[in-house]
Amino acid sequence: MKKFLALVLCMMMALSLVSANAEAFSGEIKIWVAEATVEFTKAQVEAFKAANPDYANMTVVVEPVGEGDAASNMLTDVEAGADIFGFAQDQLNRLVAAGALVDVLPENAEIVAATNDAGSVSAVKMGDVMYAYPMTSDNGYFMYYDKSVVTDPTNMEAVLADCEKAGKNVYFEINSGWYQTAFFFGAGCTLTYSTDDSGNLIAMDCDYASENGVKALKSMIKLAKSPAHVNGSSASNATNLGAIIDGTWDAAAVQAILGDNYAAVKLPTIDGYQLGGFGGFKMLGVKPQTDEAKLAACDALALYLTSGEVQAARFDAVGWGPSNLEAQQSEGVKADVALSALADQLQYCVGQGQYPGEYWTLATALGDDILAEKYDAYTDEQLLEVMTTFQTTAGGYIAK
Amino acid sequence: MVGESMNDLDYLRLSKPQKFALKMKKFFAGLPARLLGALKGLLMWFVNLFKGIGSFICDLVTTYIHGDWKTKVSYTVMGFGSMARGQWLRGILFFVFQTVFNLYVWFFGAGYLSKLGTLGTVETVKKGRVTVYGDNSFLILLYGVLTIFFVVAFIYTWYVNVKQNKMSEKILKSGKKLKSAKDDMASLLDNQFHKTLLAIPTLGVTVFTILPIIFMILVAFTNYDNQHQPPGKLFTWVGTANFETLLASPDNKVNFDVTSTTAESAALTITAKNGDILTVNTADVAAAEAAEALTAAADTEFTMVEQADGTYQFEVFSEAGESVSFVGKDLLTVKTPSFSYTFKQVLLWTLIWAFFATFLNYFLGMLVAIMINKKGIKFKKLWRTILVMTIAIPQFISLLYVSKMFAADGLINGMLMNWGWISQPLPFWTDPTWARVTIIGINIWIGIPYLMLIATGILMNIPADLYESARIDGANAFQTYMKITLPYMLFVTGPYLLTSFTGNINNFNVIFLLSQGKPLGLDLAGNAGTTDLLITWLYKMTVTDSNYKLAAVMGILVFVVCAVINLVVYNFIPSVKNEEDFQ
Amino acid sequence: MANDMNIQEVAEKAPRLRSKKGHERRVNASIYAILIVMSIIWLCPFVFLVLQSFRGESGGQVAYVIPKQWTLDNYRFLFEGVAFSLKALVKDVPAIILTVVTNAIGVLGMVKFLTRKPKNPFEKTSGNIKGALLVFGVLLLINVMRCVDSTNCDFVQWFMNTLTIALFCAVIQTIMVLSVSYTLSRMRFKGRKLIMNVVLVLGMFPGFLTMIVLYYLLKMMGLTQAGAVPGLILISCASSGMGYYISKGFFDTIPKSLDESARIDGATRFQVFLKIIMPMAKPIVIYTILMAFMGPWGDYVFASYVAFGHKASYNVAVGLYRWVNTNDYQGYFTRFCAGGVLVAIPITVLFMALQKYYVEGVTGGAVKG
Repeated sequence: MKKFLALVLCMMMALSLVSANAEAFSGEIKIWVAEATVEFTKAQVEAFKAANPDYANMTVVVEPVGEGDAASNMLTDVEAGADIFGFAQDQLNRLVAAGALVDVLPENAEIVAATNDAGSVSAVKMGDVMYAYPMTSDNGYFMYYDKSVVTDPTNMEAVLADCEKAGKNVYFEINSGWYQTAFFFGAGCTLTYSTDDSGNLIAMDCDYASENGVKALKSMIKLAKSPAHVNGSSASNATNLGAIIDGTWDAAAVQAILGDNYAAVKLPTIDGYQLGGFGGFKMLGVKPQTDEAKLAACDALALYLTSGEVQAARFDAVGWGPSNLEAQQSEGVKADVALSALADQLQYCVGQGQYPGEYWTLATALGDDILAEKYDAYTDEQLLEVMTTFQTTAGGYIAK
Repeated sequence: MVGESMNDLDYLRLSKPQKFALKMKKFFAGLPARLLGALKGLLMWFVNLFKGIGSFICDLVTTYIHGDWKTKVSYTVMGFGSMARGQWLRGILFFVFQTVFNLYVWFFGAGYLSKLGTLGTVETVKKGRVTVYGDNSFLILLYGVLTIFFVVAFIYTWYVNVKQNKMSEKILKSGKKLKSAKDDMASLLDNQFHKTLLAIPTLGVTVFTILPIIFMILVAFTNYDNQHQPPGKLFTWVGTANFETLLASPDNKVNFDVTSTTAESAALTITAKNGDILTVNTADVAAAEAAEALTAAADTEFTMVEQADGTYQFEVFSEAGESVSFVGKDLLTVKTPSFSYTFKQVLLWTLIWAFFATFLNYFLGMLVAIMINKKGIKFKKLWRTILVMTIAIPQFISLLYVSKMFAADGLINGMLMNWGWISQPLPFWTDPTWARVTIIGINIWIGIPYLMLIATGILMNIPADLYESARIDGANAFQTYMKITLPYMLFVTGPYLLTSFTGNINNFNVIFLLSQGKPLGLDLAGNAGTTDLLITWLYKMTVTDSNYKLAAVMGILVFVVCAVINLVVYNFIPSVKNEEDFQ
Repeated sequence: MANDMNIQEVAEKAPRLRSKKGHERRVNASIYAILIVMSIIWLCPFVFLVLQSFRGESGGQVAYVIPKQWTLDNYRFLFEGVAFSLKALVKDVPAIILTVVTNAIGVLGMVKFLTRKPKNPFEKTSGNIKGALLVFGVLLLINVMRCVDSTNCDFVQWFMNTLTIALFCAVIQTIMVLSVSYTLSRMRFKGRKLIMNVVLVLGMFPGFLTMIVLYYLLKMMGLTQAGAVPGLILISCASSGMGYYISKGFFDTIPKSLDESARIDGATRFQVFLKIIMPMAKPIVIYTILMAFMGPWGDYVFASYVAFGHKASYNVAVGLYRWVNTNDYQGYFTRFCAGGVLVAIPITVLFMALQKYYVEGVTGGAVKG
């Protein structure tokens, strides 16, 4: 009797194992990616289904929704949102707090951490938990310039002089909290906020109110004073392009403007120190699911879409710089002028963490004041006061 | 009669300032009486309400007692009485409604209604990595309110049902016939036509306007924001806490924090009651540490007095009477943005903007209309058509384009720089004052054609002989304007000005498309900008911050502001209307 | 004696009359100058917009106005991928039924207009050509709209969406607004004052407050994302009854004696509404239709909420806003200009043609307290 029961139990277990494996997901998965990559993503999904017959029966709908829109839509209504969506890392905080992201499957998390660059891995983590799959490491900035105008692109003072002489402009958006960090981080300051596992801000680490901070502030004032400087960062609005601090998304536009004189390089030095900045990343997130099979399917699909081969293929298709270490070593990536400049610059950059919304306002206000020539005649002590006020205000955002 | 006309003559003989002073005196003299009247009215309204409820219950009870058996059954089975008396259409309608209502409450509404008090208690949990959703506070609130609406509608219909029974009994007793279904249908097109016409609009407004507004008013009393977002998280009732956040000055615990010490000096960070953060250095290390201990242990207050040499005398004292004092130097104050301060600033700018947008457009539009209307100007139609084209182009396109025109790298700056008039781009959208003036200016561009059309239409109605006689009397253009045109226009368009003013308070399009509320203000909380109106700030809070609770509070406050303005002006206008007669 | 004084006064005034003429000419000249400057300023942005839409070189806003390269590429881009097939009218049973029904109604309407008997002996022709032409135009428009296949062409799809919404709103909103304003103007019933006060109070709440609730209500009915177009129509029309103010003002000016004499003759209120009041209310009807039609073209905020990322249900405002403001679309500025021009043209033409009614509506209804 016992033996018989044991046999039956074994058979049932075996059967359940088999059926669990054969129980493939056959419902619908919705994906939101940027318009430029919709066709590419559709092709990759087909390749995924071909390689994984378990998932051959599921329907995948790919809709063109930009990263900013995807995040704000998910925040409005998680339930009606996409199952997999692409977004930029500055939204990670809010998405986790709103329950729009499920943590990455631990096995997948290990793979991701091992195969992507350090900056992108830390960008998808909240505390110690990984919440998304890194997809690109090209949301940073560097300098494009006109080869025929700028003779020495390693030195900001030289760049300014060349452009002033030729009547061209240097575009640097100093009233943006994003570009502003080039000065502060380059001069040696730090400004980071740390969060707990649920995305709440718990502490700030900032030393803008220091000699280095004043040094950075003075560099910004000097730059703003130059007649060649224009506050902006969009190549399509750059009518008189000598040099522009911009990112890879504008590579095509800059190339169209400069033609044969197109060149890109890491950020120059100013006042003797190398400009730094933020490294930005795009990632794929998976929405919390109520169905185990669907969750498994989404996990597998998201992992595939951010794997090395697909990242390399995506670069070939639309030019997005991969975050995957292997893909970054490919010939195509290395040959890309903009991406090489970015890769060069990234070593001086800090991965962009989470910042409260008020920080961006604060930084814009500081930049606006500089542009309004408010600090032109300030002494060093007064500038230190300005930075102290900045630092204290930035610290106040945690209390909320 | 003679006495009255004498007063009118006296009145007309008064000079203009005297007339105005008289009007003002009357208004303010009448104010206490009017307030008293308003209060009395409110009191009477409450009394009437209670009287009404009392008579309602009385009515129900007497109908039951005096009614026949058909009426009594109708109390539980709606429509029975009507059907039993031959009005089958009405009976069936009532009965169907009751069934639908019962089904709805049984299967759907009761569950949500029961959770309305707590707005959900079952949290969302994760089993393994699969999410199991618990209560959805949003849906609970929404369906709960919907159910309450339904219940109210049901009670009203039940009451109508009972009343009809009573009336039918009376009619039958007096020997007349009851209305048949055919009569009912016919009367829907005649005596009851208003019901037919109003049925669908009322339903639409109830479901899509009244229900959402009540819902949002209720949200103002919850803590629904980006940290409490369904379906992942729950939110619950918090009473009036949100109103305090937005209206009252913050009341923080005073805290002295020693951030660094050396042998001779200590640096302190002080949190003041209103949220300001101060940093100060002092040589008295012991006192600094004592202050830190005191503020940590008890509720304290502090004062600081500036000395002649630029240092500050600090004194910290608790309610128990303990105190610590020291001298501090290198004081830096950082005002942390608070919602109440931001609210006041944004409200102020909203009122200023509405004032300028309305009146500037009004007078300039009138001026343009007068200019075009003047005798001797040819091609009147052409000028009007050109100006009117601005209205025809969708605001959305023209505003987006114009906003790009004024950007730092836009058309205007580019052209001015090319012509060498300026060297740096003009800060149209980056300097607060510039931005405000630019917005008001561009709004003139948009608004003048509307006002010109209206003014033209009205000006044509002014009898021409008024102008003739004025001209013969030797009045110049300005006097004609002040004494004839302006009073007439103000009289006719008074209510329009009021609507226009409240409309401008809520003028979302112009601000959002032109500047999105930028430039952002350093001293403003919640991402508010220096050109933000209350309504664009509300939009930002909803869409960018998901801070629905504060947005709801703001919506209520916008309503209060509009209501107050409307009430005040409506009471003021009649006094203007009565005196201003020019026959 | 009086005559002598008059002659004296005239003599005194004569020299002033002569200099007055010169003064008047100067005043007129300065007014002309102001008007010319104003016209230039008012028209400038649109002229620039049109010029920019022909610009060939790439880039966003530029500092010059006249394009260096003239091209129609921007307009071509807008229409890329659009297909036109008459088969769409008969592709399956519902389509056939719809075609038959709409065309039948249209032809009936035209016939009715053409054979309308003259109302009074002074009318010469016995048909209303304008009305028939209008019905024909709308019928043609509907058929063309159904033949256009815009699944591969973003802009045309957005344009069709917006046109559909605008047409439905124009009809439904007009019916609702006229019903409400007629009722409140003509009839006295218990609760009339209450309704007017409630609507006044409701109107003081800002509109955006309730966006999220309306989104969830629509979601409950399945009218978001792919069903965004019906959803937008529903939302726009549901509460449109609240905008009765101007129409009511107009109805108030029609004397009640007309109603009463008709009712004495035995007409029901319904017949009075349809046969007597409506023909007289032509200006306000056209005004209401015009305002209702123009509304959906600029609705960005709510449309983007409801469409929720489903590009095929965007309306023109959402689509064009994306083009000009998001980083995904570099170099779309000139295309935005072209799209803007194409959207502005029909609305402007419509508005200019019906300008008279707009003025009548605004001045007649809005300003009467």
